Amino acid sequence: MEYETCYVFEPEQQRPAKRRKIDFQGLQASWPIRQVAYEKAWTAQLRGIDKKLAAINAKPIAEISAFLDDVLHSAQQGRVPTAIISTGPDAASQSSIFNALSSLEGSKSKRTLVQLSASTGTNLKALLKSIIQKATTRAEDHDEDDEGHMTTKGGSTLLNYDLEILADYVHDHGLRQVVLAFQDTEAFDSTLLSELIEVLSFWHDRIPFVFLFRIATSLESLQSRLSKDAVKCMQGRLFDVATSAEAVEHILEAITDSETLLWIGPGLLSTIVERQNDYIHNTDTLVDALQYALMSNYYANALSIFLDPYVQYKDVPSDHFEAVRHLDSFRTFCEQLLEKKQALRLKDLLEEDEILFGTVRSMVEQGRKALADLVVAVDVVRELQKHLPQQQRAPKSKLYIQALSHKLQDSSQVRSMLLSVRKAPSSTVMHIMDAILALKIPGDIHDRCAEVQKSLTELLGSSDTKQPLRSEDDVKNSTLRTTVVAQKVELSRQKSSLSKQDEAYTAILRRFTDLLEAYFRDTLIAPTDLVFHEIFLYDLKSPHREAFTPRPRHAVERALAAPHDYLDCDCCKPEVGEGDESTLAACQPATAVLYQLYLESGSLINASDLWQAFRAVLGEEQDEGQKQALFQRSLAELDYLGMVKSTRKRVDHVAKVAWKGL
Amino acid sequence: MGLSMLPDELLLTLAEQWPCRDAQLKQLSVLLSPSLPTPSTIIVHGSRATGKSSVVRGYLEASKRTFAFIRCRECITGRHLLERTVAAVVRALQDDGATGTKAYNTRCENLSALVQHLQKLLLGKEEGKKFVLVFDGIDKLRDAPPTLLPALARLREYIPTLQTVLILRHPTPRLLHHPGIPHLHFTPYTRQQTLHILSRNSPAIFPTIPPPRDPSYDAELHEEDKSWLWPRFCAAVWDSLGAAAARDLVSFREACLKLWPAFVAPVVAGEFGTRDFSRLLVSQRRLFQDEGVLLHSILDAGAVTTTTNGVAAAVERKATTHELPYYAKWLLLAAYLASYNPAKLDATYFMKTSERGKKRRAGRPSQKRTISRRLLAPAAFPLDRLFSILHAILPHDLRTSVDVYTLVATLTSLRLLVRSGIGGSGGDVLEPGGKWRVGAAVTWEFVLGLARGVKFEVVDYMAE
Repeated sequence: MEYETCYVFEPEQQRPAKRRKIDFQGLQASWPIRQVAYEKAWTAQLRGIDKKLAAINAKPIAEISAFLDDVLHSAQQGRVPTAIISTGPDAASQSSIFNALSSLEGSKSKRTLVQLSASTGTNLKALLKSIIQKATTRAEDHDEDDEGHMTTKGGSTLLNYDLEILADYVHDHGLRQVVLAFQDTEAFDSTLLSELIEVLSFWHDRIPFVFLFRIATSLESLQSRLSKDAVKCMQGRLFDVATSAEAVEHILEAITDSETLLWIGPGLLSTIVERQNDYIHNTDTLVDALQYALMSNYYANALSIFLDPYVQYKDVPSDHFEAVRHLDSFRTFCEQLLEKKQALRLKDLLEEDEILFGTVRSMVEQGRKALADLVVAVDVVRELQKHLPQQQRAPKSKLYIQALSHKLQDSSQVRSMLLSVRKAPSSTVMHIMDAILALKIPGDIHDRCAEVQKSLTELLGSSDTKQPLRSEDDVKNSTLRTTVVAQKVELSRQKSSLSKQDEAYTAILRRFTDLLEAYFRDTLIAPTDLVFHEIFLYDLKSPHREAFTPRPRHAVERALAAPHDYLDCDCCKPEVGEGDESTLAACQPATAVLYQLYLESGSLINASDLWQAFRAVLGEEQDEGQKQALFQRSLAELDYLGMVKSTRKRVDHVAKVAWKGL
Repeated sequence: MGLSMLPDELLLTLAEQWPCRDAQLKQLSVLLSPSLPTPSTIIVHGSRATGKSSVVRGYLEASKRTFAFIRCRECITGRHLLERTVAAVVRALQDDGATGTKAYNTRCENLSALVQHLQKLLLGKEEGKKFVLVFDGIDKLRDAPPTLLPALARLREYIPTLQTVLILRHPTPRLLHHPGIPHLHFTPYTRQQTLHILSRNSPAIFPTIPPPRDPSYDAELHEEDKSWLWPRFCAAVWDSLGAAAARDLVSFREACLKLWPAFVAPVVAGEFGTRDFSRLLVSQRRLFQDEGVLLHSILDAGAVTTTTNGVAAAVERKATTHELPYYAKWLLLAAYLASYNPAKLDATYFMKTSERGKKRRAGRPSQKRTISRRLLAPAAFPLDRLFSILHAILPHDLRTSVDVYTLVATLTSLRLLVRSGIGGSGGDVLEPGGKWRVGAAVTWEFVLGLARGVKFEVVDYMAE
């Protein structure tokens, strides 16, 4: 059908002869319930994330709109007011900000916002034309003829890139501000941008322009790209939006609040966060990755049915309980029960589905609560780090990942932190206690901490000095003494005398650190020790990796260099001792053979030599003409893949363009 | 009445409005006289901010002439200029009360159409009433057709009542291909003239009158003080900065206004009296040494403060940096190395086996004088070379996924990487063996900063 450019596809049969199985079988039976549960869980989480992101963007948006209002009310000056928004290389955050700004504009009809991007036009005429079109939103009485003329109400004919049209429009509609938002300033051609700015600034006395530039690099680089005259006609202010690292922290906060049903495990989370840091600063991809993780769990893990808080016993098919009984964590749990001599309970769990259902529900609930407590403990660690002078402040995402992978409990980090609490003066400790109490930690730690603080307050109240109390463990309070006895130097540490209050303070401090230590021991548990953690903790890296970071080039190269990996044929199976190096064989696809020959050659390949080698590999079985055809087709395919190209240096050679393994 | 057909009083008012332009005004009044025989075209030229356009316009307005004033810099193309010219003429005639031009609605594609339109519009007018067509900044017109200027100069041959004024900065000798065109030169203002013009408006010393320190200080006294202090200050600025770097009136005034609040800050604070000019000058001499005031910036730094709080500014700047992603930094480093190192030395610098540093050429330096590569334009490189260098300089293994290609695309959209080849950014991205360069923003300093951020000794890898 190659002679037809298009045709209607008409299948001969309306439906396949064999009836497809539409009903879900086995563990798939719970799929509709899981899908509903997923929808609920994700919408809740997305709402939380959106709320956080909106809160981040709220400040710069408020600032920019205040700037626009300011400009509106201040007297007209010769230079065009300009807002420069520095957003970093993240393309998504800026569009959300601009969208928020444009929705803001809608409420005040005396202002119009025109968004421009580098793709809007490649020359001045096209840019001006689209500015005019967008700003005037093309009222009905403007008709355009084929030569690019537009007629305005005044009856005069104007070229469609004549800013007079916009000036008339502004005058007629009483607009007080025309905001031009340049979305990707860097992508504009420098001279074009300078010219545009200059032309627009000539009209500034008739059209009240305001420029918004979104820059990804720095103001200096923008200024160095613009012409001097263009820089002169702008008067600007710099606005800043939250960096992507901050946005990541906020999103993590949103997905780790106590309402979270499915927790993302440390391995996956660190992969996602690292990708944010290493490759892209884009909150949208982060949200996508989280959604994908949720989907993978709900869609593929049948046991996620238990995550639905409203699931009833009768909804769960019986084979799901069988699956629960196969979980590793359940087996360990059973062994523990046996050790505790609770054989009867174990028997019930193994035999009665309904009892197992209740247990699973309550255990999952407990596990999620334990994880929520863990996050609170991470907050406590962060508060301590914030108030102690020598401590390094780690980002929350890092601490959270450490805590989830059970690296925080008994870590040197936490221990040194507790030690420095012991050395801290009373003023610092008061701040720490206030901060911890402000966290409103569930459980009795809150009350006990309040108790300790109360006794400390009493102690401070009884002391008459304004100096903060010192701790006995503080090295500053001991002096090093050197004594020379019989030509030997003896070092001795002498505790400087501490007042009674200081001693009392030290005792209180010990109580406090013991309290914290016990708290950390209880909360910073290993999530994989929790029973049924397979249900509420999702930590599979490979689906994320396959979906978000594919390796197209590697796949093509591998398919050509080692076709056996894809074809799984018997003929070119690598020998056991050889590793994965496959050898050339005539039975491999011709392109693969040619590619392997190509890999062996240098950067310029003699076509004749290549043909000779190719012919030798194919052997004597095929006739010459066929081999020639195969060779030509393979070379054309390599050319199509962008691996060779003809070179002007030598007519009978091809140039190697792509190297393997990059 | 003399030669000028303008009443002397009017000329005096104009001279009052545009000081130091008496000679030019007198010449204008002769050359544009409505009754005397006048040349068909006048060229008014002079450097920036010498009052060319304003004086011509002011004169025409004052002499109640019908004229059309076309600002060429607002026009995008030559055709745009022609259309605007017709529109301006129509508007001028309407303002003048001429009839029959109410609905003049037409197009003007080229110069002959312009002549046609002008003939139609102007020939019907009564004899003796001249029409003046002013083209302001005609040398700055974009995409001007080469025949435009000579044609404009000859418009009079078709329309006897028309007179054309071309305002431009620097006339070239054979600009119009027409002899005998009078050129009116607007000379740059001298020091005396500049100071005279600036001293006509003196800005306030105190933000509020009376100042909080001295309630008895009234507006009259303030007026007297500022008009005493301001000219002296301007003269000082002229001698230190203006004469060399801000000669024209506009930039000089800008520089003066920028420096003024900082200069009078001690007076406002009460440390000096308003007439302590010499002491003030000595104490504020730093202001006159700092050339930063001459640089233009989009951000308004506001007034220059005496205590240059550069540290605070730097801190503020630091808070606003948005870092590039980790691998983007490495990619840029690799791209810089690929652009500035010759490809034949790659094996020396990037092979894992060869020991770096030792391979540096020892012995006597070569006799041939070469320009440091860093000072040359970046060379183009194929993408595979960039990836190879990236793999070589990375301290750890890189799993090449689609993210790396996304990064290349992102950097390209930021113009930190540029596709070179036909048409700059043109060409097919997928074309095998396409070449790339680092963008102009990637300077050596920028690269050094990046390298410091990822702890990479970029100097070791740069070919000398």
